[in-house]
Amino acid sequence: MPEHLRITRNRREFLRDACCGFGGLAFAQMLMREDARAATLNPLAPKAPDMPDKAKAKSVIFLFMAGGPSHIETFDPKPLLNQLSGQKRPAEFGEAKYQFISSDARLLGTKRTFRRYGKSGVEVSDLLPHIGECIDDIAVIRSCRGDMVVHSAAQYQLFTGRIIPGFPSMGSWVIYGLGSESESLPAYVVMPDPKGALEAGQPMYTNGFLPAVYQPTTFRPGGKPVLNLDLPAGTSMEDRRKTLGLIRDLNQAEMHPGDTEFSARLNAYDLAFKMQTEAPAIFDLSNEPAPTLEMYGVGKEPTDDYGRRCLLARRLVEKGVRFVCVVSGGGPGNMQWDAHDDIEENHLRMAAHTDQPVAALLKDLKRRGLLDSTLVFWGGEFGRSPESQGSKGRDHHNLGFSMWLAGGGIKGGQVVGATDAIGLHAVENPSHLRDIHTTILNQLGLNQDALSYLHQGRKERLTEIHGNVIEQIV
Amino acid sequence: MATSRCVSALALMLCSAAFAAESIAPLGAYTLLERRHWAFRPRAHPEVPKFSETVDRKWAATPVDAFILARLKKESLQPSPPADRATLIRRVCFDLTGLPPAPAEVASFLANRSSDAWEKLVERLLASPHYGERWGQHWLDVVRFSETDGFEYDTHRPDAWRYRDYVIRAFNNDKPYDRFLLEQLAGDEIAPQEDEDLIAAGFNRLGPLRKNAGNQEVASSRNEVLTEMTNIVGSALLGVTLGCARCHDHKFDPFRQSDYYRLQAYFAATNGEDVPRFTPEEQAAWKAKREPVEREMKELREAMKHAKQEEQAEFEKRLEDLEDRMPPPLPALFSVSDDPAKRTAIHLLARGDYRSKGDAVGMRPPGVLLPDNVPDLPPETGNPRSMLAKWVIDPQNPLTARVMVNRIWEYHFGRGIVATPNDFGRMGERPTHPELLDYLAKEFVASGYSVKHVHRLILLSNAYRQRSAVPEKSTALEKDPDNKLLWRFSRRRLEAEELRDAMLAVAGNLNPGAGGPSVMVPIEKELVNALYKPSQWQVTPDPARHNRRSVYLIAKRNLRLPFLEVFDAPDSLVSCPRRESSTHAPQALELLNGGFSNREAKVLAARLAAESSRSYRRQIDLAYRLAAGRAPTERELQLALEFLRKESKRAGDEKACEEFALAMFNLNAFLYVN
Repeated sequence: MPEHLRITRNRREFLRDACCGFGGLAFAQMLMREDARAATLNPLAPKAPDMPDKAKAKSVIFLFMAGGPSHIETFDPKPLLNQLSGQKRPAEFGEAKYQFISSDARLLGTKRTFRRYGKSGVEVSDLLPHIGECIDDIAVIRSCRGDMVVHSAAQYQLFTGRIIPGFPSMGSWVIYGLGSESESLPAYVVMPDPKGALEAGQPMYTNGFLPAVYQPTTFRPGGKPVLNLDLPAGTSMEDRRKTLGLIRDLNQAEMHPGDTEFSARLNAYDLAFKMQTEAPAIFDLSNEPAPTLEMYGVGKEPTDDYGRRCLLARRLVEKGVRFVCVVSGGGPGNMQWDAHDDIEENHLRMAAHTDQPVAALLKDLKRRGLLDSTLVFWGGEFGRSPESQGSKGRDHHNLGFSMWLAGGGIKGGQVVGATDAIGLHAVENPSHLRDIHTTILNQLGLNQDALSYLHQGRKERLTEIHGNVIEQIV
Repeated sequence: MATSRCVSALALMLCSAAFAAESIAPLGAYTLLERRHWAFRPRAHPEVPKFSETVDRKWAATPVDAFILARLKKESLQPSPPADRATLIRRVCFDLTGLPPAPAEVASFLANRSSDAWEKLVERLLASPHYGERWGQHWLDVVRFSETDGFEYDTHRPDAWRYRDYVIRAFNNDKPYDRFLLEQLAGDEIAPQEDEDLIAAGFNRLGPLRKNAGNQEVASSRNEVLTEMTNIVGSALLGVTLGCARCHDHKFDPFRQSDYYRLQAYFAATNGEDVPRFTPEEQAAWKAKREPVEREMKELREAMKHAKQEEQAEFEKRLEDLEDRMPPPLPALFSVSDDPAKRTAIHLLARGDYRSKGDAVGMRPPGVLLPDNVPDLPPETGNPRSMLAKWVIDPQNPLTARVMVNRIWEYHFGRGIVATPNDFGRMGERPTHPELLDYLAKEFVASGYSVKHVHRLILLSNAYRQRSAVPEKSTALEKDPDNKLLWRFSRRRLEAEELRDAMLAVAGNLNPGAGGPSVMVPIEKELVNALYKPSQWQVTPDPARHNRRSVYLIAKRNLRLPFLEVFDAPDSLVSCPRRESSTHAPQALELLNGGFSNREAKVLAARLAAESSRSYRRQIDLAYRLAAGRAPTERELQLALEFLRKESKRAGDEKACEEFALAMFNLNAFLYVN
C-alpha cells in the first residue's frame, strides 16, 4: 500500500521506537502488523498504554478555569499577606514580573476565609464550599509554575507544553497515544464557555502537526453541539441512509477487497453514521433523574450552564470519550477568572458558576465508580499576583499558583508543595506545568518519551524537556 | 579535502573582514565524518545508467527513467505498465493545476494520437495561470504563509495577500529559483524601489507575532521574531533542522549553537516595515474619515472610566462597533528593512533564553559548510541579508538546489527522494535515489534554476506515467510496500484545497478570478464568536468571490475553515513540508452533512439536469466524466440508475438527483487521483 495512512506509519515508528529499547525487533514487527490491521480500519481504535502497570485512568476531564484563578483566594491561605496588606513587598521575597502592574505596587490581602474540610483537613476558601466537601479526593498542588505571564502564551504552555502555537494539545496527544473507547462519539471534546473566546484561540486546543484525525471536536452551545451531526435542512434520516448506501455501493463497485485505505474510508462512513444516530441521545440531558440535575445545579442560576457541561462531560467519559475539556470563562477578561479590576466581584461570580457543578461532577463520578478511572484536573493558565492592580484587582502571576488533580489513581486529601508566605514564589517542591503534564500522562499509562512524534527532525513530545511525575500523589 | 575546495571561493567572499569582539564564540572545527554527511557533500556528476536489453532501453527513455529503472532492477523489481490516458490527464491536471480536467479536455486528449500529445498537454498546463495557484500553494505551505499575527489579537495583515500573489506570479513566470530566494531574503536591500522585491521580502516577517497589552516584553518578543526569521531559513531553504541548535548544539547534526546565532546575526537589523503605497490626497481623505471615529472612541473611553461595572460590557461593545467603522487601512507593502539604529546585538543564548547571554557573534553561514575557522562578518556589515542570500543561492551550495528539486519530486510523486523534505540531516531519511537527486539538482542549476525545466524532466518520464494499481501476482508489494522505489505510481487523496476547488469546478460554479485581497466566506456564527475579536471576520460582500479558489481565501491563524482543517490543511504556524492524509469519520460528516458540500451538490444536480436533458443515464455519465474524469463502469451505471429510479419515486426527482450529486463528492473515484 502507498504511504497513504500516515498515521499507520507514524504509529509504526512510534512502536519501533518504543520497542527498540528492550531489543525485541520481532516483537515490534508483530505489534506493527497487529497495529496496522486495527489502525487502518479505524485510526482511533483503542490502543494499549505503554506502561500498563501505571495506567490507572482511562479518561481525563480538564476543568479549565480560564484567565487564571487566584491561588490566594482559593486553595493557598496566606495570613501574612493580610498583615502586610497595603505595604510594598518586602525585599526578601524576591522579584516578580507582571504584565500590567509596576514594581511599586502594594500587597493586597484577601477577604476570603479558609476552613479545613474532610478527614484530611486540607484548607479551602469560602468561595468553594462544595469543592471543599470533596477535598479527600483531591490533591492540591500549591507550587505550580509556568514560564509566561501573558494569557495566550501561558494558555499554549498549559495545553501544549510550548509557549508558541503550532504544537499538539494534551487532548490530541492523549488520543494519539490511546485512541478512543467510543465509536459513536468524538474522542477528544472541548466545551468552551458560551460567553466567548479565549486569548490563545483555536490553536490552543488543536492537533498541531499531528494528523487531523487527532483534532478536537469543539462543542457548540445548545442541544446540538456537534457540527455536521445534524442533517441538512430538507434531508431526512431515510434520505441520508439511502445516500450512504449508494456511496458504499459505488465505492465498493470498483474497489480491490484488500485495499486497506479504501476499507478505512468505508469504515469512516459507518462510524459517521453511527455518530449521527447514537450521539444525540448522549447529548440529551432530559433523561437524567431530577436529583442528578439538581446536584449539578442544572435549571437554576448561576450554575445552569457550567452544570450542564459538567454533566455532559460525565456522560461522555461514561461512554468512553478519552479527553474532555470544560472551560469556565470566555470573552472579555472580566468574564473569565481574569480579575484585574476587582478580585472580590470577579471571583465570587466565577466561583458561584462553577463550585457546585465541579463538586457534583466529582461526587457523581465517584458514586458511579468512574472516579477511579477518570482523572479530573482543575486549574488556569496561571494564578494571580499578591500585589494589587488598581486598588482591588490582581494581575497575572505565573511563579507560584495552585491547581488540583482528583481521581484516576491520584491520592486525594493532601497538599503538595508550597509558595512563600505571601504566595509569590513556589518554594517547596515546585511543579512546572510539564511536571503536571507528565503526571497526567503517567496516570494514563503513557510514557512521556514514548509518546512522541517525529516532526521536522525532532521527536516532539508534550513535555518538550523531561518532566517529573509528582510522586507524592500517584 | 573536497569540501573545503568547493567552498573556498565562497569563504573568500564571506570573510572580507574578521569580526573583532571582546569575547567571540569559537568558530568551530568539524570532523571529516561530520563533513561527509551525504547532504553536505558537493553534488556528484552521476552517469546516467545504460541498459543492454531492448525492453529496458525502451522504458528508460529519459534520464529520470534510467535512474529509477536501475534501482528497481537492483531489487529485481519491474516498473508498472503505463496508466490509461484518461487516468493520465486527470493525474497531471490535478498535479499541475489542482483542478480536474473538463470532459471535453479529456475527450480531446483521448482522441489525439500524435506522438507529442502528452508533451503538448504538459506544456499547456505549465502555461495555465492555474499552475501558479497550485504550485504557489505548495510554497505557501513551506513558508507557513498567513495573513494574521496569531496569538491573542491575531491581528490581520491587510497587505499580506500581495506576497501570495507574488508567489503565484513567480511560479507562473518560472522566475529563476535563485532570484526567487534572493528577492525573498533581501528584496528590500537589492531593489528598494521595486514593489515586487519589497513584497517578496515580506517573507522575513511571515511568522507568528506575539503582541501583548501592559508591560512590554521587548527583549523576549524581539527574540521570538528573530527566531522565526532564522528557523525558516533552515527548514524552508536549506532543508536542515537548524532550529534545534537554538538552545544547545544540535544533537545529531553538526550545527553548533554558535552556528545558529551566527545565522541569526544576518537578521539582527531586520524590522518589519509597511511601505506606504498611497498619495497624499488619499491619505488626507483617509484621515478625514478616521478622525471623527477616533474622537468618538476617545470620548467613549473617558466615559468608560467612570461607568459602573455592569455597564462595562455595553461600553466594550460600543467600542468594538466604532472600531468596525474605521476606514480600512491604506494600501501598503508588507515588507522589511534594515535599521542599523535598531540592531539587536546577537549573542549565544544559554538554553535559548534571551536573558542568558553568552559570547557575541557576527554573521556567518553554518560552519560545517565552510572550511574550518572561517571568521564571521562584523555585525554592522551592510546589506546583510543579501550576503546571506548570495551564499544560499551560490551554485556550489550543496543544499539549496537539492532541497528544492526534492520538494518538486515530492509534490509529483507524493514522496520525496528524501522523504523528509525539511530535514536532510542525520535524523531525516536517506535519499532513495541519491544519483537521481544530484542529477536533477545539477539540471536545475544548469537550466538557470528553472522549476518548469524540472517539471518537464519528471513529467515526460515513463516513471511518472505508470499505473497506480498493484499488478496481479506482484511481489513488489511485499518487497517495497511504501513504493519507495517507484515500481508504480502512488495513488493520493486530493488535498484540502484541491478538494474544495474540484467540488466548485465539478458543480460548475468555480470563480476563476485571480489575485487581490483575500476572501472571507460566510461561516457558522459559532465559529466567528469563537474568535477573540469576532469583528475580524468581515464576510466579503460579493458572493461571487466566495467561489474563488481556496488559495484566495484568507489564511487566518486563529480560524481555519473546518472544511479545510478536517482534510489536513496545515495550520500555518510552522513550515509544512508535506501534507498529512488522514482518514476519519469527521471527514465523512463534513462531506455528507456540511453546508458547502450540500450547497455544491444542489448546483451540480442542476448542472446535470440542464446539460443532460433529464435522462438519468446521461446524467450519471456526465457526473462521472466531471467528477472522475471517465465514464462510469456498467456496474456503477446500474447502481446509480437503480438509486435514482427508486429514490425519485420515494423522495421526488429533485431530491434524488441532489443526493446522487452529493454521493459523487463522496466517491473514491472523485476524492483520489490514480
